[in-house]
Amino acid sequence: MSDLQLPHINYAALAPMLILFGAACAGILIEAFVPRERRYPVQLGLSLAGVVAAGVAVITQAGTRTITAGGAIAVDGPTVFLQGAILALGLVALLFVGERSLEAGGPFVAQAALIAGSEPDRRQVVRPGATEVYPLMLFAIGGMELFVAANDLLTMFVALEVFSLPLYLMCALARRRRLLSQEAALKYFLLGSYSSGFFLFGIALIYGFAGRVDFAGIHAAALGSDRSNALLYGGLALLSIGLLFKAAAAPFHVWTPDVYQGAPTPVTGFMAACTKVAAFGALLRVLYVAFDRVSWDYRPVLGVVAILTMLVGAVFAVTQTDLKRLLAYSSIANAGYLLVGVLAMSKDGLSSSMFYLVAYGFTVLAAFGTLTLVRDADGEANHLSRWAGLGRRSPVFAAAFTFLLLAFAGIPLTSGFTSKFAVFAAALDDGQTWLVVAGVITSMVLAFPYLRVVVMMWLSEPAESTPTVSIPGVLTSTGLAIGVAATLVLGLVPAPLLDLSTKAAEFVR
Amino acid sequence: MSTVLAAAAGEMATGEKVVFWILGPIALIGALGMVLARNAVHSALWLVLTMLSLGVFYVMQAGPFIGMVQIIVYTGAIMMLFLFVLMLVGRDASDSLIETLRGQRVAAVALGLGFAGLVCTGVYRALRDTPPAGLEQANENGNVQGIASLLFTKYVFAFEVTSALLITAAVGAMLLAHVERRKEDKRDQAARMRERFAPGNYPGPKAGPGVYATSDSVATPAMLPDGTSADRSISRILPTRELTSSEKTPKGTER
Repeated sequence: MSDLQLPHINYAALAPMLILFGAACAGILIEAFVPRERRYPVQLGLSLAGVVAAGVAVITQAGTRTITAGGAIAVDGPTVFLQGAILALGLVALLFVGERSLEAGGPFVAQAALIAGSEPDRRQVVRPGATEVYPLMLFAIGGMELFVAANDLLTMFVALEVFSLPLYLMCALARRRRLLSQEAALKYFLLGSYSSGFFLFGIALIYGFAGRVDFAGIHAAALGSDRSNALLYGGLALLSIGLLFKAAAAPFHVWTPDVYQGAPTPVTGFMAACTKVAAFGALLRVLYVAFDRVSWDYRPVLGVVAILTMLVGAVFAVTQTDLKRLLAYSSIANAGYLLVGVLAMSKDGLSSSMFYLVAYGFTVLAAFGTLTLVRDADGEANHLSRWAGLGRRSPVFAAAFTFLLLAFAGIPLTSGFTSKFAVFAAALDDGQTWLVVAGVITSMVLAFPYLRVVVMMWLSEPAESTPTVSIPGVLTSTGLAIGVAATLVLGLVPAPLLDLSTKAAEFVR
Repeated sequence: MSTVLAAAAGEMATGEKVVFWILGPIALIGALGMVLARNAVHSALWLVLTMLSLGVFYVMQAGPFIGMVQIIVYTGAIMMLFLFVLMLVGRDASDSLIETLRGQRVAAVALGLGFAGLVCTGVYRALRDTPPAGLEQANENGNVQGIASLLFTKYVFAFEVTSALLITAAVGAMLLAHVERRKEDKRDQAARMRERFAPGNYPGPKAGPGVYATSDSVATPAMLPDGTSADRSISRILPTRELTSSEKTPKGTER
């Protein structure tokens, strides 16, 4: 084997991922060697530092356009933009995850292996939560970074598993309502592995078609291959199932409400923001880089998926009485709006989708962050009826949440409006009027559940059982401030970020 | 080896056909058996059968490395470990056969068969007239060497990142299955004895809950020789169950 040519590896381009994985491994070692009482500050500090350092590494890569590590990793505009977005959103999510002042010991259970409701389980209520979540968070963020940068299907699959596995685990670690949390984790794990199976099957078919799994090779083969097109379309369909599952698009959305409800709320926020960025980042790369030559064939199908997603999200959101489930269905509907942007299949579509991902991510993180504040003796009070009259009791809190809901509803002066406007404009430019019409109609339907919460908070009388709004600690208040500020700023002056996303919107092949 | 290679490049050899038509149905039966078996150990053994057949297929199709890995690692190590765990945990926990969603099983079978039919016909039609290609180049320097060179050149990053996956899996298993004993929870024999005979503790076994002609509920306290009821005979977890207050109160016997 004298002819083995080792590939050139551009370590600077890989630095964000290497830093995160390295910090995660260090976190595992901390679990092993640092005394229990000192682990929390060390782990929290290490993960925040890791994410910030990775962010710096991403910023230094601005303007890089390269394919490295033997063709497995593509670092280009969208990669850098989305990696930066994942890190920024992940940092805010880490702040919520690290909060320990709202509840003794934080939102995570101390020992997940104890049987829920048993005597030892009741004794661990006051013990500080498991600190393994921090390395798991870092692994998940690192996997997402790799997912949006992967330049062949095999690397993409490994990245999919690397970021999914920690998410499955973190879903099972809620301190309160542990059975619900474990059920959520099991559902997510089973359905997630099932969708990974589809993804893998799709890779096999595409390999059969193109003889390669890298995106440039698939792109070249799509022009003309001596294999039947059935392999290409079948492979793309199965591949899309795997990606749309992670993106929570109908009809692959059924896990979303249960998992969002059962998972610890900071993890739910993390999933809603960062997983969406990663899934859509990968979907954009697959569709724009590898399969752009067959876009005429898959656009109608994905268009139907988009409309179905928007409809399902909007209609079911109306019937929800639990705020976490309401936000889950709203996140499904938002996946539909994102698909509208993706299907524009133009530079504008790409940049507006990326802008949407960032804007929606900050808003949804802040929304789930506020949910952690409304508590009674049993933990978070998420039932809609319990929120009646909160506006009278805590006007500042209720005003912030109202603002976030208005952003979800797409009212002007919020980031929700600018981002929806950007995706719809891109789709209109490309002649996808039917998608835009469906998007506008479902947005109007979706405004109803949001406004119902607003009316509930402000116009109802507070009842005896109305829970209190906890005073957030430093971490949560910082996270909330960032989320609300981003929602406001991206609504008032979206131009800088839009310019940035437009500048970044060019894939390398 | 070379004959297999030559055969794979062109027409299928007779031997390969025979092996396929014998092992193919066996693999399928194993897969069906895994799904249909009621007992978890039987399921695992059926899966072993399928995996072994697949391993032979791989070897036959000029992929000796993946075939051997399939047999040694998957069948030999992972499935056997799985069997050990099943047997240690106890294999009597059979699945509940109650359908929580009406008609779900029928719908799942119908949709599954439909999907399998769709994919099979699609792949069959797509590959019917396609000659196999590229096998000789891939195995040019030997199969294992070919895989090694791919792992260390094209897919080196994916290969390295897999370690993150394994670390996560190990941490996850620890997190979800390992119960940590704190130092203060560990008590030696002497301490336990001292505790047992300490004043205020009754060293003998507790009286069982009462079984009387009027009531045999576990919530019925036992009766002491002096005619009073022994509240200690009722399990401590009973009052926290979601019972109505009348059910919760200790039921004395009529005397």
